Amino acid sequence: MDQNSSNNSPGQPWLSLEQWRQDPEFLKLTEKEFRSSPLQSEDGQSGHARRDFLKLMGASLALTSFGCVRRPAQTIIPYAKKPPEIQHGHPNFYASSFVDGMEAFGILVTTRDGRPIKIEGNPDHPANMGTMSARAHADILRLYDPDRFTGAKRNLQNKNRTNRETINAKWDDLDKNVVEQLNKGKVAVLTYNHASPTTQVLMEEFAGAFGGKIYQYDDVSYASLMEAQKASYGSAAIPRYRIEKAKVIVAINNDFLGTWVAPVTHQRQFASGRKKSTEGINKLVVFESLMTLTGTNADKRYRIRPSQSLDVVMALLHELIVVRKQSRYSADDGVIRALSGFSKNREDLSLNLGELADELWKNRGQSLILAGGLTADGDFGVALQVAANFLNSVLENDGKTIESGKAVVRGGPIGELIDALNKKQITTLIIHGSNPVYSLPPGAKFREALANVEMLITTSDRNDETARLADFVATDHHALENWGDLQSLDGTLSIQQPTIQPLHDTRAFQDSMLAWLKGANKGSAKAKAAATWYDYLTASWKPLATGKGSFEDNWNQILQDGVLKTSAASGGGRSIAGNTLANVKPTAKRAGFELAIYQKVGIGDGRMANVPWLQELPDPVTKVCWDNYACISPKDSVQLKVKEGQHVTLTVGDQKVEVPVHIQPGQADGVVGLAIGYGRQGGGKVVDGIGANAMMLAQWSDGRAITAGLETKVQPLVKVTQLAITQGHHVMEGRQIVVEETVADHVKNPGGQVHRHKMKTMWSEHKYNGNKWGMVIDLNTCTGCSSCVVACQSENNIPVVGKKHVIDGREMQWLRVDRYYIGTPEDPDVVHQPLPCMHCDNAPCETVCPVIATVHSDEGTNDMIYNRCVGTRYCANNCPYKVRRFNWFSYTDIQAPRQMALNPEVTVRSRGVMEKCTFCIHRIRTVKANHKVNDTKLVDGDVKTACQQSCPTGAITFGDLNDKTSVVATNFESPKSYALLEELNTKPAVRYQVKVRNTDHLKWAPKHAGGHGGGHGDGHKEDKKAPGHSEGGGH
Amino acid sequence: MIQRSPLVLGKKTYETVSNDIAGIVERFPDKRFFAGLAGAQGLLLIFLLAQGAIVWFGMGLMGVNHPVGWGTDIITFVFWIGIGHAGTLISAVLFLFRQKWRMSIARSAEAMTVFAVMTAGLFPVLHTGRPWLAYWLLPYPNQRGPLWVNFRSPLVWDVFAVSTYATVSAVFWYIGMVPDLATIRDRAQNKWRKRIYGVLSLGWRGTARNWNHYEMVYMLLAGLSTPLVLSVHSIVSFDFAVAVLPGWHTTIFPPYFVAGAIFSGFAMVVTLMSIIRELLPVFKDYVTLDHMENMNKIIMATGLLVGYAYASEFFIAWYSGVAYEVFIFKNRAFGPYGWSYWIMVTCNVLIPQLFWFRYFRRNIPWMFVISIFVNIGMWFERFVITITSLHRDFLPSSWGMWVPTIYDFGALFGSFGLFFTLFLLYIRVLPSISMSEVKPVLFVGRNDGHGDKGHSEGKHGHH
Amino acid sequence: MDIIEKLIQKARPTSRNGVAGLWMDEHQMVEAAAKIRAAGFTQIEAISPFPLHGIDEAIGIPRSFIPWVTFTFGLAGFAFGTWFTWWASAVDWPLIVGGKPMWSLPAFVPIMFELTILFAALSSVGALIFVCGLPQVDPPVIDPALTSHKFALWVPEGSAGFNGPKLEQMFKELGAGEVKKAEF
Repeated sequence: MDQNSSNNSPGQPWLSLEQWRQDPEFLKLTEKEFRSSPLQSEDGQSGHARRDFLKLMGASLALTSFGCVRRPAQTIIPYAKKPPEIQHGHPNFYASSFVDGMEAFGILVTTRDGRPIKIEGNPDHPANMGTMSARAHADILRLYDPDRFTGAKRNLQNKNRTNRETINAKWDDLDKNVVEQLNKGKVAVLTYNHASPTTQVLMEEFAGAFGGKIYQYDDVSYASLMEAQKASYGSAAIPRYRIEKAKVIVAINNDFLGTWVAPVTHQRQFASGRKKSTEGINKLVVFESLMTLTGTNADKRYRIRPSQSLDVVMALLHELIVVRKQSRYSADDGVIRALSGFSKNREDLSLNLGELADELWKNRGQSLILAGGLTADGDFGVALQVAANFLNSVLENDGKTIESGKAVVRGGPIGELIDALNKKQITTLIIHGSNPVYSLPPGAKFREALANVEMLITTSDRNDETARLADFVATDHHALENWGDLQSLDGTLSIQQPTIQPLHDTRAFQDSMLAWLKGANKGSAKAKAAATWYDYLTASWKPLATGKGSFEDNWNQILQDGVLKTSAASGGGRSIAGNTLANVKPTAKRAGFELAIYQKVGIGDGRMANVPWLQELPDPVTKVCWDNYACISPKDSVQLKVKEGQHVTLTVGDQKVEVPVHIQPGQADGVVGLAIGYGRQGGGKVVDGIGANAMMLAQWSDGRAITAGLETKVQPLVKVTQLAITQGHHVMEGRQIVVEETVADHVKNPGGQVHRHKMKTMWSEHKYNGNKWGMVIDLNTCTGCSSCVVACQSENNIPVVGKKHVIDGREMQWLRVDRYYIGTPEDPDVVHQPLPCMHCDNAPCETVCPVIATVHSDEGTNDMIYNRCVGTRYCANNCPYKVRRFNWFSYTDIQAPRQMALNPEVTVRSRGVMEKCTFCIHRIRTVKANHKVNDTKLVDGDVKTACQQSCPTGAITFGDLNDKTSVVATNFESPKSYALLEELNTKPAVRYQVKVRNTDHLKWAPKHAGGHGGGHGDGHKEDKKAPGHSEGGGH
Repeated sequence: MIQRSPLVLGKKTYETVSNDIAGIVERFPDKRFFAGLAGAQGLLLIFLLAQGAIVWFGMGLMGVNHPVGWGTDIITFVFWIGIGHAGTLISAVLFLFRQKWRMSIARSAEAMTVFAVMTAGLFPVLHTGRPWLAYWLLPYPNQRGPLWVNFRSPLVWDVFAVSTYATVSAVFWYIGMVPDLATIRDRAQNKWRKRIYGVLSLGWRGTARNWNHYEMVYMLLAGLSTPLVLSVHSIVSFDFAVAVLPGWHTTIFPPYFVAGAIFSGFAMVVTLMSIIRELLPVFKDYVTLDHMENMNKIIMATGLLVGYAYASEFFIAWYSGVAYEVFIFKNRAFGPYGWSYWIMVTCNVLIPQLFWFRYFRRNIPWMFVISIFVNIGMWFERFVITITSLHRDFLPSSWGMWVPTIYDFGALFGSFGLFFTLFLLYIRVLPSISMSEVKPVLFVGRNDGHGDKGHSEGKHGHH
Repeated sequence: MDIIEKLIQKARPTSRNGVAGLWMDEHQMVEAAAKIRAAGFTQIEAISPFPLHGIDEAIGIPRSFIPWVTFTFGLAGFAFGTWFTWWASAVDWPLIVGGKPMWSLPAFVPIMFELTILFAALSSVGALIFVCGLPQVDPPVIDPALTSHKFALWVPEGSAGFNGPKLEQMFKELGAGEVKKAEF
C-alpha cells in the first residue's frame, strides 16, 4: 500500500473521486463541501478504524524487521506468514529514544501485535537508566492523538494569512510547490532542539543547498543559560551537572528536579546523594518565588521575589569574598567593586546567608549552585547565570560538580530570524517542531513578521497556531513512527527506531527534506544515494557502527541496545574567563506584584498538553488538574480579598489575561505565578480552551523572552470557578502519616521518630508459603514527580474522567501522590507520599465484600475480581487508605485511535465495578509463567511494577518478602520502615521509609494520633490556618 | 375493678363493627382518596424515573463519590427499615404483653411494616453499581464452580435479615387478616368480590378447632417476630458497626438503632393514623385519642433513648482517647455538616419533649406535626452517621464532600410515593382494622350494660 | 388448566348434613356447647367470627400441637445455618478473606439466627394451613353472619350419640335464636 493510497480508504468516496481528478481547483471545492459537512470527522475516524487493522498486520512485520534482524520491509505483508518474532499475546520490546525540550533519553517501547502500547525507560541509556518522566509515558497517547493531521495539508489564505481554509494536499503537489518556491532561494529553517546529529547534518546540507540559514527556537528556551555559558567559559554549551557529587546544592529559582533541562537525570543524581542518609546526605537549599517541585524537596527554603534571584548569588559571593576573604578573588578589585554595587540590594534582601556561605565554603568542590529557568528569566536572566557560574568557580566546583557539556546549538537565535523576516531577507520559511506563533511573546511581533514571507511551511502534526498560518503543512511523523538518532546532554548517542507503520499519510521531515533536495536536484552524493531517510541515517552511521563483524551486525546490535554505549563523552573540567562580573549590574527594584511564569511538571511547554493523562495528572505541588491558575501567596490572598478559584485579571503593560486564583502555601509574597502551555487554539480537543496563555504576558527584549520579574497588576473579579483539586485537605492533623526525622535523629536512631504499636490478634494468621509480594516506598528519595502515576495509568488502562468528575471526586488514578504541608501556610515544609493499594494482610475491604469480589491470593496480594463485583462500594468505604476507585459511569468509550494504547493484559473495567492497584499482578503472572516454561527460578528484581520501573529516584522497591535476601525484604524489615495506620492492624504489604530532612529541627514534629491517646489539637489548629482548604472544590 | 376508658367508642356491636370496617372495602371511595392516591403515584413516577436513569446511566448520577461511597440510597434504606419496625413491635411485642389497645392499630401498623420493608428493600439493590447482578448476594447453587457469598459481610447478613423479616412480617400480617377476609367474603353481594375474597380468605370457616390452632400460631409468630425485629435493625447497624471507620465502629449501634427504629416507627404510625382518621372518619371510633396518646408516650420515651445514645457516643469518643474518634465527633457537630447534626438533635431529642404535656399528646394537629419532625430527624440521623463519618476519615488527603444531585432527591421523595401508593391501596381493598381482634375487646371499659361482658376472656356474664 | 381444576376439586370440602343452632350472644353459645356435650353429643362444631375463650374446654378440643413443629423446624434451621456457613466458607470454597479464619464462627451467627427464625415461622404457618385443611374452595356456609356477629353450634347427623329432635330441642332451650338443618 503506497503512501497516498490511505486517502482511498473506503468510507471516503469523495476524496477518491477528487484524487481521480488531479484538478486543484476542484479539489478545493470538494474540500469546502467537506468542511461544511458534519460527516467529515466521522469519515476520518472510521477511516482510521478501517485502516488500523491492515496497519497493525503490516506494521508488525515491518517493525520486527526494523527492530531486529532484517532490512526494513517497506511493504505490507499480511499475517499469512507470521514473522517468528511476533507471537500473539506476547509483547515485543523495541529500543528507541525520546526527546522533550533539552532532555533526550532512551526508551523501550512495548508493542503487541505491532501496536505500541507503552513506553518504558531503556536501562542501558545512561541519561535515564530505565526510568521515565510523566511526559515521556504520555508520549504514547500523542501517537494515538485523534487530533493529529492525517496527511499533508494546505492552507488557502490571503496575503495577511488571516483566513483559515485548511484542505488536504497531495504530497506530490506539495513537493512541486515547495521545490518551486525553494529554488527562489532566501530559505530559512526554524527548528526546535531535535537533538539528532544526523538530522542536523541533513538540515545543514538542505539549508546549504538552497542558500538558506538554520535558526533554533524552543518553546522553552535556555538562551540565557547558554549565553552566560559562552560569556563565562567560551562555549554556549549546557554543562553536565554532577548533582550526585554535591553535598550542598543551592537552587535559585531553579526547578532542576521538576522542569529544568533534564529533570529525570537530575532526580536520579539528587536521590543518590540523598540515599547516603546515615552519613554525608546532601543538603538542598532553595531560594524561590513559587513553590516548585524542587522547593518541596528543600531542606532549607527561602522565599524571594524573582528580581532578587541575582541578589542572592551576589550576596553569597559577598559573604565569601568580601566578608570571609575567601578564594583567590578576595583581592580582586574588579570583583569587589562589582559586589559593592549590590550593597543596597543586599539590604533589601535582608537574608542572613553567612551560615550558608560557611557551609558552601566548607564543601567547596562538593557544592553546586543552580540558578535560573523561566521563573528567573528576567532582564537579569543572563547576569544571574553569569554570577552563578562565577560563584560555582569561586567554590571550585568546575570540573567536579559541573563538567563541560556539549553545545546544543541547532541554529541562529530566533531574534535574528525575526529581524531577517522584517528586513524581507527571507521568502521561504520552514518551521520544524516548534510552535513560535503560540509561544513567543506578543512583543516579538513574529506573526506580523510572517507577513513578509512568500511561503510558510510547517511540519506541525496538528492544526496548531503556527500550522494555521502556514501555506503548506508537511505533516511530520510521530517519533514512534520515524527513524532517527538522538544525542543526550552527556553526549550519548541513541537510536530512534519506528515501532509502527505510520498511522496516517504523514512523512518524516527528513524525508521531506530529501524529497525537496531531489526535486531541486541538489544535495550531496549521500543525499542523492538515499532512497529514504533511513538510508541516509544508516549511511551516516557507517563510521559510528564500527567493531568486529559487518556493519549490519553492529547496526543491529545498536538497534537492539538502542544506544551506542561507547558514545558517552567524559565531561572535563573548564576554567572561567577571569572576572565575568564586570557587567553584572544590580536589578532594579520592582513595585507591586512580580510575575513569575513557570512550567508545570505535567504540562511542560504544552507540547503534549493534548494528552488527557497529563491534563488529569494532579500537579505535584498544587494537586490541581485540568486548569491554569494564578498562584498567589496566602498573605496576598488576604490582602487582595480573593478566595480559591476566584478569577483575577493579570495585567503586564497592555497585555491582560484572566485566570482563576490558586492560593499556594509557601509562595513568596508579592509574586504571582502562571504556568505556560495553556490557552491553546489548535492544540487539540482536549487542551483547547483550557486556561490562558501565560506567554501573552511575557515581554520581548533583545531576542529573549522575559518571563519573570515583570511588574504585574492583579485585579480580582467577581467570577469564581471551582478548581479540580484531587486532594481535599493539606495538613496531617497530627496523625502519623508521613514521619520526618532530622539527620541527627536519623543517624542516632533511624526510624526512632516512628510511634510503634504492639498489636494483638484474636486468631492465628494465615501462612504465605511461596511468594509474598510486598513493596517499600522510600519517602526520603521520593521527590513527588508523579511519573509513577502516569506509568500506572498507562500500564493499567486507567480511564480519564475529565474536570467535572474530578471536581465531583471521581478521579480514577490507582496510584495517587499525597502532598502534605507541615508548618505555617506562609512557610511550610512539604512531604510527598505515593499511595498505592496497601494489599493489607487483614484487608478491611475483603471482610465486607458480600460477593467475595475482592479477596486475598495465596501470594499476599489483595485481588479485585471485576466480573464478580456487584458494586456495593462497601469495600471503598471500609478502606482506611481510600485507594479504591469506582466506575461511576462507563469510562471505556475511548475516542479512536486512543484505544490502541490499551494494554490487553489488563481488563478494561465496565461501569459499576470497583477497581484499584493490583501490584501489577499481570506482570507477576507473566514472569512466573516464563520461569515455569523455562524451568528457571524467580530471583529478586524479576518482577517490577510499573510505578517502580518508572521512578527516577528508585524510591519504590518491590518483590518477594519471603525471600529474605531480596532488597524489598530487607527494606521492609529495616527500622526506617513503618506501616501506615499501623494501629488498625491491617498489616499492609506496603511500608514507608521515614523522610530525612537535612536540618537541625523540623517545622512541626507530628504528634501521634493512633489507637491509644495522643491529641491532634495542633493539627486541628493547623487545619484552621491551612489555606486551599478546598474539599468543596476538590471533592 | 378500676374503670377504664373504652377502647372503642360509639356503642358498637359486633355487627356495626363489621359494617364499619368491611364497609370501607365495600363502599366506593370518595374524591379525597383518589386525590391522595394521585399524589402518591405522582411521587412514585418520580421514583421510577430517577432510579431508571440511575440504572441506565450509572451511579454517578447521584452525589456519591470518593470518599463518600454511600449516600441517599443507604440513608433512605436504613430510614425505611427503621419505619418498618413499629408494625411488628405493636402486633408482636404488645400482643405478648397483652396490650388490648393494640388491636385496632395492629393491622395498619403491620401493613406499614410490610410496605416500608418493601420500599427499603429496593434501595440496597438499586444503590449497587450493577443492580442487575444484585442477586449474586444470594447463596444459590450455581455452575460457576464453588462460588458462594461472603458470610462474613454485613451486607450478606442484611440479605438474610431483611428477607427473613419481610417474609415473616408479611406472613404474620396475612395470617392475621384471613378471618376478616372471610368476613368480607361472606358479606359480599357481588360475585367477583365473593370469589376474590374467597380465594384470599383461603376458605376460612372459623370453627373452634381452627381458632384453636390459629391462636397458637399467632402467638408463636408473635414470639418469633419479637427477637427477629430486634435482630433486624441490629444487623442493619452492623453495616456500620463492623466497619473500621471512626464514627461507624461503635458497639452502641445495635441498641441505639433499634431504639431509633421504634422511635421513627411509632412516629410514622402516628402520622398515618392522623391521616386515616381524617380520610376515614369511622376510624375515630376505633383509633381513639387514647391510642394516639399511648403511642406518643412511647415516642417520647424512645426519643429520650436515642438522645442518650447521642450523648454516650460523644462521651465514649472522648473517653477512648482515640484521636480519629475525637475528631470525627467534633467534626459531626461543628464540621461542614454540623447543620445536619443539629437538625437531628432538634427533631429527635428536643421536639419530642413536648409530649411531656398532655395537651400535645392528645392534640391531633400537634402530634401530626411532631411526628413529621421526628421522621425528618431520623432520616438525618442516618445522614449524619453515613456522610459525616465517610467524608473525613483516616487520611486527610482523601477527605472530601458529598453534594446531593437532583437524582438523590428523586430517590428519596419518590420512595414516599411508592410507600403511600401501597398504603392507600391497602386501606381501600383490605380490612384495615382487625375485626376478629377488636370484637373480643369491644366492650372493654364500657358501662352500657355490656360493661362486664366486655371481659370476654375467662369469666362469663349471664343474665 | 385441568391441573388447576383438579386442585380446586381437591380443595372442595366434602360437607355433611347436620343440625345447627345460631346464637347472637357468644357466652350463651359457649354454655350451650358445654351442656350439649354433657348430654352425650360427641361431635360438636362451634363456629364464631372470633376466637372464643372457654369453647375449647366446652367441646373438648386439646391444646394445639403446632409448637412442637415450630421447635423442630427452628432447630433444623439453626443446624442448617451452622452447617452451610461452615461448609461453604471452610470446606467447599476456602478463601483468605480479610485475614480471618476460614470458619469465622462469630461472623456466621447472624445467618444461623435468621435461618432459625425463618424455618420456625414458615413451618408453623405451614402446619396451621395443613391442620385446618386450608385452602378450601366454596366451603359450606351455615349462615354468612357467622364471620361477622353470629355464633353457631353444629352437630353432624349420624355422629355418635346423635339425636336430631333432642338436639333441636336443646338448642332452643339454650337460647339459640335460630335452629335449622344445615350442611357443613
